[in-house]
Amino acid sequence: MALVLIAILLPIAAGALLYALPRRDRIVCRLAGTAVAAATFGMLIRAGDAQWSVGWLSRPFHAAFHFGATPISFWIALLLALCTACAIASTRVPRTRDFVALLLMLEGTMLGLFLARDLLVFALCWDLMLIPVFFGLMNWGEHPATSWRYFIYNFAGGLTLLLATAAFGVIYGSTDVIGSNGAPLVGAWAPWIYAGFAFAFLVKTPVWPLHTWMPPTYAGLPAPMVAVVAAVQSKAGLYGFLVIGVALLGTYVHDYAPALMVLGAISLIYGAVIALVQTDAKRIVAYSSLSHLGLILIAIVSENPLALRGALVYIVAHGLFSAALFMLLGYLEDREETRSLLRLGGLGWKNPRLAGALCIAALAALGLPGLAGFAGELIILIGVYQAGYVWPVIVALIAIIIASAYMIRLYQDLMNGPEVEDVPVRADLSWLEGLAVSPLLAALVLIGVDPAPLLRP
Amino acid sequence: VTLPFTNADWWAILPVSVVAVTALVVLISDLFSDRGEPRYLPIILALAGTIAAGILLARQFGHNYDAFFGGFMVGGFATVFGEIILIATAGSVILYGAIGPTPRIAGMTAIMLWSACGAMLMAGAANLMMIFLGLELLSLGLYALCGAVDRKTARESALKYLILSSTATGFLIFGFALLFGATGSIRLADFVNPALASNPLFWIGAGMFLVGIVFKLSLVPFHTWTPDVFEGAPLPVTAFMSVTTKAGTLAVFARFIYAALPSGIGGALLIPVWIAAGISMIAGNVGMLAQNDLKRLLGYSGVAQIGYILVALAGATPLGLRYALYYLTAYAFMNLGAFAVAAAISGEREEGASIANYRGLARRRPWLAAAMTIFLLALAGLPPTAGFLGKILILSSSVSSGYLWLAALLIAGTAISLYAYAKVIRAMYEREEGEVRDVRPFVPLAWASAAICAVLIVAMTFYPLTPSNVLPLVR
Repeated sequence: MALVLIAILLPIAAGALLYALPRRDRIVCRLAGTAVAAATFGMLIRAGDAQWSVGWLSRPFHAAFHFGATPISFWIALLLALCTACAIASTRVPRTRDFVALLLMLEGTMLGLFLARDLLVFALCWDLMLIPVFFGLMNWGEHPATSWRYFIYNFAGGLTLLLATAAFGVIYGSTDVIGSNGAPLVGAWAPWIYAGFAFAFLVKTPVWPLHTWMPPTYAGLPAPMVAVVAAVQSKAGLYGFLVIGVALLGTYVHDYAPALMVLGAISLIYGAVIALVQTDAKRIVAYSSLSHLGLILIAIVSENPLALRGALVYIVAHGLFSAALFMLLGYLEDREETRSLLRLGGLGWKNPRLAGALCIAALAALGLPGLAGFAGELIILIGVYQAGYVWPVIVALIAIIIASAYMIRLYQDLMNGPEVEDVPVRADLSWLEGLAVSPLLAALVLIGVDPAPLLRP
Repeated sequence: VTLPFTNADWWAILPVSVVAVTALVVLISDLFSDRGEPRYLPIILALAGTIAAGILLARQFGHNYDAFFGGFMVGGFATVFGEIILIATAGSVILYGAIGPTPRIAGMTAIMLWSACGAMLMAGAANLMMIFLGLELLSLGLYALCGAVDRKTARESALKYLILSSTATGFLIFGFALLFGATGSIRLADFVNPALASNPLFWIGAGMFLVGIVFKLSLVPFHTWTPDVFEGAPLPVTAFMSVTTKAGTLAVFARFIYAALPSGIGGALLIPVWIAAGISMIAGNVGMLAQNDLKRLLGYSGVAQIGYILVALAGATPLGLRYALYYLTAYAFMNLGAFAVAAAISGEREEGASIANYRGLARRRPWLAAAMTIFLLALAGLPPTAGFLGKILILSSSVSSGYLWLAALLIAGTAISLYAYAKVIRAMYEREEGEVRDVRPFVPLAWASAAICAVLIVAMTFYPLTPSNVLPLVR
């Protein structure tokens, strides 16, 4: 059924239409954007694993515009639609119309990426999804240099992805392979192809030492867009490792797992330690992301079935809490015009709703049982341990302790403590902002209590 | 006196003749038109002529035969190159209308059409004489066109092109002489003789021939003339040159490596060309970084883009030629589109040539900025454009032919190029406009040309029509 195609094209078309129509009221734009994103959410649920395909290339290899959710991408796509809807609903930036249009196009291109069943389409959407973020950074970011760094890093990754895809297609004969349970690729070329894919995925995730584009990007983007980028776009690499690495190049993932685990472990500790000393609230969350995604990478390359399922749970959980954290920090920055921990404090007394929401998101991030983060972490750690990798588990446990420290510090410095004199008193979360962030928090609790739907094979 | 030619011979060069006659009609019609007024008649006539020639040429597709005693080939391969050249000609003539028709427009249009005839002859040329005839017809016209505005840089451009190009022609024709000496024939088809592999005369001749070709393709190390000539030449001429010289020369080069090389000689003889292509991909893209003139930028970009196309030809695989043609077609649309946008914001002083004038274009002319963005993304090889698919086809071709080092250089070059292209995009979407610029009026022809190019570039991604059965015709 073509529903899946409509879900991908609708946001793109809606975004383009928003640009084309005369400038509208901010409310209208946000309403339309949220409605479109919510509609894609509904369509994705409705479509399930239905597929849509039409031929593209027959030479030099078979390729098709083939879309449809896999058991993994179904959840990530839902996460994406949810995050986009929530992010648009509470957008407060200048030139709202253009911004909402970009966010919708970002959603559409990323849906294309996650729902693609063809490697070439995957590569196409990989490059496409960089463009809205580039423009977002360019027009709303803090410094133009950031957008260049983002673009060049990720485009370089996109190029190796392209080369690897071409080589894969020529050797394998088809790129219509994602989620098809086809035979894995073997041969002299396969390790190089894996290297091409892996480089792109490691840049995108990102993983130390390829992460330097990430903190300024996350800090510089406006909150609604970074909520989507940090929550979902960063998963493109991990998703690639799952559906391309593990599924099609499994032996090589296994062979090179120790190297990637070392990178993942360094990211885990490095991200956590840096997050501990940052004073910019957004950068704390950015570095915590580096740390968490390192753990997911370890889980994926361990190739243990349990760890893989845990990785999916944690991918969704991380998406939910990082989107919530970034949105809440965005609200905070809108109010106080700063996000420096040094200048803020004691906001919780006057903003109980903001404090409560931030508390839930931060607790989920540090892995409190009962929230989604814990479910993911626990399953991953058990799985990785089962696979026979003990040292990464120990490293991860240390990082989780540090995570509690930096997340509590974040909350503590912002919300608790004495009120700072020169910080103006602002209103608490409006009902709209609360409404925008509450689905994310609700989902965190829901998955934390019952992650079973995500664990089905 | 009866000429020794058959009807089939005349039919073979009918499209070329139509273009040539159109040029005459343009000149004659100019005698009867009113001086002083801006005149669009030459443009309209030229468009009609190229379209008619295009239709006639298209009807030759699939009818494959030799004409003029094996000197000129008709059918698939030549047809595709010929159509690309005609499209480029039409797209360039239109630009004369956009930047304001000068008093000399009829003459320039006519010369451009004759140059196109030369390029079309090169597309079908199968012996050395025909190659030389086509090349010189193309180049002679371009010398005149480059200098045909009253501007110091234009004169410099014309002179530079004349001198350097003549030098290259010298190499070429000396190579021809040696090739003839080695083989006793001017027909490319007669070169396919294994005995030639041990004939030093053939090696030297072929080497000099390739030097001439590499110069005309503006590959490193013979590329330095390109940006200067492009910068000085009038905008429509730059657009014309950037596509037709490359298309014509590529046709000759492709025919040479696919159909005229003795077996066993290709690998060793062509290695320097592939190395030149590899270096061009890096040098061209690095050269772009520092440019602030669009014509220079696209000149350097052309150096790199022709490198990409050669990657597809490396190894001389049948599919490689198709991908080269696909990419060349896409490249024609990218360049023509970009020049159309430049023309649409240019007056007689060619403001569209300076990248500074693109600052804030998205505010003043959102649709032009959007079209330009598509062209630049395509040149950089980003989706959703034909540049992206072209790159993946070229990469896959290099994987199957085993020239992976070229693929690696292509990747590196593309990464570098991104910065240069994105710089222009960024300028267009920049918020603050400097001083207030006067917005050029709506120019229907240039806008239409840009729109058509943009739509085709996106459409080519999703319907990748690579011309089939091209190869049998190369011979």
